[in-house]
Amino acid sequence: MTEYADGSVVDGVHYHQFDIVIVGAGGAGMRAAIEAGPKANTAVISKLYPTRSHTGAAQGGMAAALANVEEDNWEWHTFDTVKGGDYLVDQDAAEVLAKEAIDAIYDLENMGLPFNRTPDGKIDQRRFGGHTRDHGKAPVRRACYAADRTGHMILQTLYQNCVKFGINFFNEYYVLDLVMVSDGFGGQKPAGVVAFELATGDIHVFQAKAVIFATGGFGKIYKTTSNAHTLTGDGVGIVWRKGLPLEDMEFYQFHPTGLAGLGILLSEAARGEGAILRNSEGERFMERYAPTIKDLAPRDIVARCMALEIREGRGAGPHKDYVYLDITHLDPAVIDAKLPDITEFARTYLGVEPYTEPVPVLPTAHYAMGGIPTNIQAEVLSDNTTVVPGLYAAGECACVSVHGSNRLGTNSLLDINVFGKRAGNSAAEYVKTAEWVELPEDPAAGVRTLVENARNSNGTERIAIIRRELQESMDRNAQVFRTEESLTEVTEVIHNLRERYKNILVQDKGKRFNTDLLEAIELGFLLDLAEVVVYSARNRKESRGAHMREDFPTRDDVNHMQHTMAYLSGDPMSADAGDHIRLDWKPVVVTRYQPMERKY
Amino acid sequence: MATTIEAPRSPYSRAPRSRGINWEKWGWMYMRASGLVLVVLIFGHLIVNLVLGDGIKAIDFAFVGGKWSNPFWQVWDCLMLWLAMIHGANGMRTLVNDYASHRTTRGILKGALLFSVIVLITLGTLVIFTFDPCPAGAPADLLASFCPAS
Amino acid sequence: MSTATLDSPPAPADDVIPTFTVTLIIRRFNPDTDDEPTWQDFDVEMYPTDRVLDALHKIKWEQDGSLTFRRSCAHGICGSDAMRINGRNRLACKTLIKDLDITKPIYVEAIKGLPLEKDLVVDMEPFFASFREVQPFLIASSKPEKERIQSVAERARFDDTTKCILCAACTSSCPVFWTDGQYFGPAAIVNAHRFIFDSRDEGANVRLDILNDKEGVWRCRTTFNCSEACPRGIQVTQAIAEVKQAIMRGKP
Repeated sequence: MTEYADGSVVDGVHYHQFDIVIVGAGGAGMRAAIEAGPKANTAVISKLYPTRSHTGAAQGGMAAALANVEEDNWEWHTFDTVKGGDYLVDQDAAEVLAKEAIDAIYDLENMGLPFNRTPDGKIDQRRFGGHTRDHGKAPVRRACYAADRTGHMILQTLYQNCVKFGINFFNEYYVLDLVMVSDGFGGQKPAGVVAFELATGDIHVFQAKAVIFATGGFGKIYKTTSNAHTLTGDGVGIVWRKGLPLEDMEFYQFHPTGLAGLGILLSEAARGEGAILRNSEGERFMERYAPTIKDLAPRDIVARCMALEIREGRGAGPHKDYVYLDITHLDPAVIDAKLPDITEFARTYLGVEPYTEPVPVLPTAHYAMGGIPTNIQAEVLSDNTTVVPGLYAAGECACVSVHGSNRLGTNSLLDINVFGKRAGNSAAEYVKTAEWVELPEDPAAGVRTLVENARNSNGTERIAIIRRELQESMDRNAQVFRTEESLTEVTEVIHNLRERYKNILVQDKGKRFNTDLLEAIELGFLLDLAEVVVYSARNRKESRGAHMREDFPTRDDVNHMQHTMAYLSGDPMSADAGDHIRLDWKPVVVTRYQPMERKY
Repeated sequence: MATTIEAPRSPYSRAPRSRGINWEKWGWMYMRASGLVLVVLIFGHLIVNLVLGDGIKAIDFAFVGGKWSNPFWQVWDCLMLWLAMIHGANGMRTLVNDYASHRTTRGILKGALLFSVIVLITLGTLVIFTFDPCPAGAPADLLASFCPAS
Repeated sequence: MSTATLDSPPAPADDVIPTFTVTLIIRRFNPDTDDEPTWQDFDVEMYPTDRVLDALHKIKWEQDGSLTFRRSCAHGICGSDAMRINGRNRLACKTLIKDLDITKPIYVEAIKGLPLEKDLVVDMEPFFASFREVQPFLIASSKPEKERIQSVAERARFDDTTKCILCAACTSSCPVFWTDGQYFGPAAIVNAHRFIFDSRDEGANVRLDILNDKEGVWRCRTTFNCSEACPRGIQVTQAIAEVKQAIMRGKP
């Protein structure tokens, strides 16, 4: 092992050694770092500068039953989470989420997060979709917030605290591989990760006793998305390529209110503060679909209703292809105080003045409910029950599963804080007793090949065109409504794009800041993940939460009240997805709540 | 490999904080305080010299001589001299800092600035306090008309 | 009831959104081969609603894959794509093409005052180093069981400076920072301000002491470049002035 000592450079590859390596510096990654950093030698590796992470784009709030403004308790929050997820939520995990939410909020406040305040100086709370009082009786004010910049404040606060604790950051290092070795008992465990330094093009191997993945989502498989350009599912893709399973990948959330045509998010907080969705006739159509909580129904339902309105010819605009989000009846002072950013987005990007005009909106791809399966300790699973020792995942890239088939608004900021913290603590506990895992011979070999192959791609296919065709096909065929036919079509598209991907052109041959190369590699992950999403969606022949099959319009608890587990089992280039993806089921953990019909 | 990178003039390395006098702070306060006082002094100066009495027509050697025989105007003008010279020089210093890119150029320019300020202030102060409109022993044709004939 | 022709009218002419050609002149620099940066022209077809970032993407994706710039969220929240557009620091994703004079070429270059790495990418490390130096985190000794109490007015006192996204548009527009890069810069002072005026914080004097430095707030000459550059609309110069006053008072 001496040949790979910390700080050594062997064959141009830099070697580092840390007890814990965290991949990703968004909310979950930095929350984990704040727990792990003071207890163990920790490094955070991120493709971006930490404050660029997409946690910062979250707007509306973070749910916790603080009961600062009205009666509430965490059990109601658990129920809402389970019901919101259409009963595909692991209820033990949802209970952890709702219970630890309260401390998660106090932690953030004590770290300095500037929440909006009530008149008596406590953290203010507001309404949000699907969060209700006493098991669905009426909307409840549960979301703690800082204007419509809650995610921004969380990201900044966490980064500030990482600065305080002197966490080691490796910024603009792109992790491309997880080094797994045999654990001697027939299983595998991680020995570290391999990263590509964007500034220099050098390869770095980080040997670690524990690895935490907190790499976020993969919204860029869709064209209309609220996700950042950088959200290409690299972490999920790496784990997938290692043969570890992915859970519930068919469940992808479409946020109802993206700016029409752009996908930029307008927070659900707008509706929490009283905004109304209207069709071309000016009708508040959500009254028809969800008479009790109307516009504050969960996102899957609202997105579907919007799509239905448009389909039935009641869309607004010259092409009848969007609906309106109306906040004109709100006091401009309230809008400025509570929704300043989203109103600015409408002005900047659509030239619409939200004080006086309704804003055109459309559902936009927003959040992956599925991902790397973990237990409630954030330990990654290699099948339905087996833990991979030393490997953790948290945040959007993970599937605990607290969101089931549809996540409630404000539960993702909560997820990253609760399970980010748990991942950090679990890893810190693990490395106390864990031994160093010896690196295999030349651990960087795979990444070197991947990078050099990409750099030497002199084909004819443009990366951007393949990516756009993938995204357009996903938007057309695997969005809010899905059928066997549409899913089959997009499967074929993905297969063809994979073939064309072999023949791509990377024009930038340089070493430093080669973002052309980066995009080529990212596209590879997008293709892999889109295929898993579509293949899992084809297999789920029912409609549940965000997964709406028009050919199977009802929920089927007899056959499908279980999680999908997908495994890479063969050559990903084979024509038939069935030849290289194996699907399995994993039972849902049910504690208190038996599935009921989901009505709002 | 050519790696010429446009960098700031000096690499980022903040010197350890010195515990001495914070000249930047006092400089900043000085600029504001002296600016305020100078407004009063300069406008007073202009009004007395150009507006009051016969206005601009009254100014001649005798007028200046008369003013500097009065300690009030000596202090007034001396204050104006010191405050304005230091104020202006400090302003010039920030300009030099901004636009002179080389250490040595900066040093030379700032040195020259300091030198000229010291010379001007010394000379000016000397003149204000030692000014004698009718020096003894001077040839009569060089003396002002109001001087008592020697 | 109606004729076939009326049933299917041709698409109205105004239905087609017009595109136009925009010329971008970009300051390119490849550290592997170039000694000096050079300006390069690109023509792209754009829609009026497109942003400068869309134009850069179009060039990268369709013409020259080696064009290098940072970007992520693409709606002005992450702070990746601060650059100098027609001589002003802006976020490429918040600058609509139609708001620029498109009869002339659009000049795009990297922000100034930080070491240029490649094309529009600069080394952000000096910027973040100066941010880290002002102790940008809550310093508080109390360990409350729940949240700390803070009135609405106390919260509003520092609201403006909590909006900072650390994009460096302000610091890299500051002529004092350009001189030698040693000045703390507007962004670091803004982030110090955010804590100095937070009623929960107890470290104000530490930060005031740090900024009462020869490279601290006193170097600000109130040129207002920073306030003008800030994509978040933070009153940066005002925040700096408030910190100066706090130093003179000896307390926030």
